[in-house]
Amino acid sequence: MSQSSTLVKVEDLVIKFPVRGNKESKFITPVDKVNLEIKKGEVLALVGESGSGKTTIGRALVRLLKPTEGQVTVQGKKINDIKGRDLKNYRQVAQMIFQDPFGSLNPVRSIEGHLKFPLRKHQGYKGKALDQKVTELLLQVGLTPVAEIRKKHPHELSGGQRQRLAIARALAVNPKFIVADEPTSMLDVSIRAGILQLMNDLKRDLGLSYLYITHDLASARYFGDRIMVLYGGKVMEIAESKELIKRPLNPYTRLLLAATPGSDTQIDLTDANNEAPDLSEGRKGCPFVNRCPLATAVCRETMPELKQAVDQHFVACHHYEEVDTVH
Amino acid sequence: MEEKQPVLELQHVSVGYDSPAGMVQAVNDVSLTIYENTIVGLIGESGSGKSTLGNAIMHLMKNNAVLTSGTIKVMGKDVYSLTKNELRKFRWSQMAMVFQSAMNALNPVLTVEDQILDVFLSHDKSMSKKEAKKRARELMDVVSIDPRYLKSYPHELSGGMRQRVVIAIAIALDPKLVIMDEPTTALDVVVQRSILDKIKEIQKVKKFAILFISHDFSLVSELASKVAIMYAGRFIEVTDSHSLMNAKEHHPYTEGLIRAIPHLTAEEVTIEGIPGNPPNLVELPTGCAYHPRCRYANELCKKKRPEMRHVDTRDIECHLYETVQK
Repeated sequence: MSQSSTLVKVEDLVIKFPVRGNKESKFITPVDKVNLEIKKGEVLALVGESGSGKTTIGRALVRLLKPTEGQVTVQGKKINDIKGRDLKNYRQVAQMIFQDPFGSLNPVRSIEGHLKFPLRKHQGYKGKALDQKVTELLLQVGLTPVAEIRKKHPHELSGGQRQRLAIARALAVNPKFIVADEPTSMLDVSIRAGILQLMNDLKRDLGLSYLYITHDLASARYFGDRIMVLYGGKVMEIAESKELIKRPLNPYTRLLLAATPGSDTQIDLTDANNEAPDLSEGRKGCPFVNRCPLATAVCRETMPELKQAVDQHFVACHHYEEVDTVH
Repeated sequence: MEEKQPVLELQHVSVGYDSPAGMVQAVNDVSLTIYENTIVGLIGESGSGKSTLGNAIMHLMKNNAVLTSGTIKVMGKDVYSLTKNELRKFRWSQMAMVFQSAMNALNPVLTVEDQILDVFLSHDKSMSKKEAKKRARELMDVVSIDPRYLKSYPHELSGGMRQRVVIAIAIALDPKLVIMDEPTTALDVVVQRSILDKIKEIQKVKKFAILFISHDFSLVSELASKVAIMYAGRFIEVTDSHSLMNAKEHHPYTEGLIRAIPHLTAEEVTIEGIPGNPPNLVELPTGCAYHPRCRYANELCKKKRPEMRHVDTRDIECHLYETVQK
């Protein structure tokens, strides 16, 4: 992999949040030493359950959050500590699409207002060119008839249309990289596919890179070039999408896969232990240890390193070679 | 084979909401029978009327909703002919419901035990508190929660555990029919799977009937034996779940839904969305409500509403199958 094709590089990313304890202040670490790379025009799907840290990583990459430790490099620039004009410029590189299209739009602003604002502020569009560009964006995301739609307000749009507007707004600044945080989870099934297709078309036409955050392995498999599985703030496994679904090596990935409707494998989960992972600062060992069928003493003591098991298939597990012995 | 007893009979049920814009028909002339010991799935998008129908069966309709026509019978009794007092006893002992927002369905200031005891003691005045407590412990066993959580408040439990408690409360009085309205929607996949497995396991033992309302296609087809698909207030297809995934002839909407879902294990994944938007119930399209989004639509579809036809093992409401014998 040549260095030049890498768009986003994350090294040893750690994010800590303070929690109020009884007396002393404590920290939790929802993201712990995460490394990842996203190439130009690539989609990395980030899969995990709630509390796994996937949204936190996404927010750090668009600098809605400041990383506690580690280094985030986008287009060769370090973005950990940028502020002011640099941060404003960075907004033109990286944009985010939020989960809830009912909450991420301004109810008193018209549809065209949502697009005019970033176009004016970041791109310097004015007058006729501005109107032209709004039309172009609305067409690009399939919000038609344009003349009618642009005067409407968000409450007049359906969920799918709102999410299309959110995508158009992200595109307004001509970004290179989009963090899409569960963009379809609040939409109806018949609408979801259209949004995923739109994002796929934009990737192809504009060469966009995405961090696609989801809890749904099937859509990650569809949209993601590679899938990264996160648990308790740590990377459990990362591989090319098809490979990961076909040959999951981490016991957690296997569990997730078996639990997804439509999977071939079945595990009896009637009495599954669904205990949430420990996120406290300074925890030891693998976060999945209490639920893992392969757990041994070493899993409690040390977090396994992310190792390349097969070509470009990385897994963090002490016992991944034995994974076929269970289930 | 012995005759199975129908638990739920819906005959030409219509439910409307009285709104300033006139009567909005949320459920429009649906008929369905559910027999004991079966799980029937009800699939639909938001606004298709699936939750309205669930609430109507429980006679729990909110403020301006009215049953405009048809009858709803549970265990042979017309739910709408019962007096207030009869209805209060009938609910939960014969039919119970697991609500959509089950995470919030519990009272935050009462312990889990108090909420379970409440069900027993208010329905059986002769039951002693000691007996009720014993039953509560048994229930916790059934849903695989450690009985020590009886003393916990809802906020001390995880989402999955709260959902198990809500299910425990629903089955406390051994109802014959349990309506589950999106019981796993807000939960993580692994938790969702374990709850579903639990529901299946309990159902096998207690043999009650379930009407499982959901928008998740693959989930329903795994769980239910029969599936009704709802669009704009009508059942547009009623099928057994095996044919749902395997047969070729479906309602175009069903076909669209099947195409819209990415498959987890297929070699090549392609998906295709259904164009357009879910219908507005205030201004329903003429003829077949699905025609503006339908790839096969012709002039007839715009003018005339199709009739329900029996196609192979399924009932489909579409002009496409006009030629097929009724």
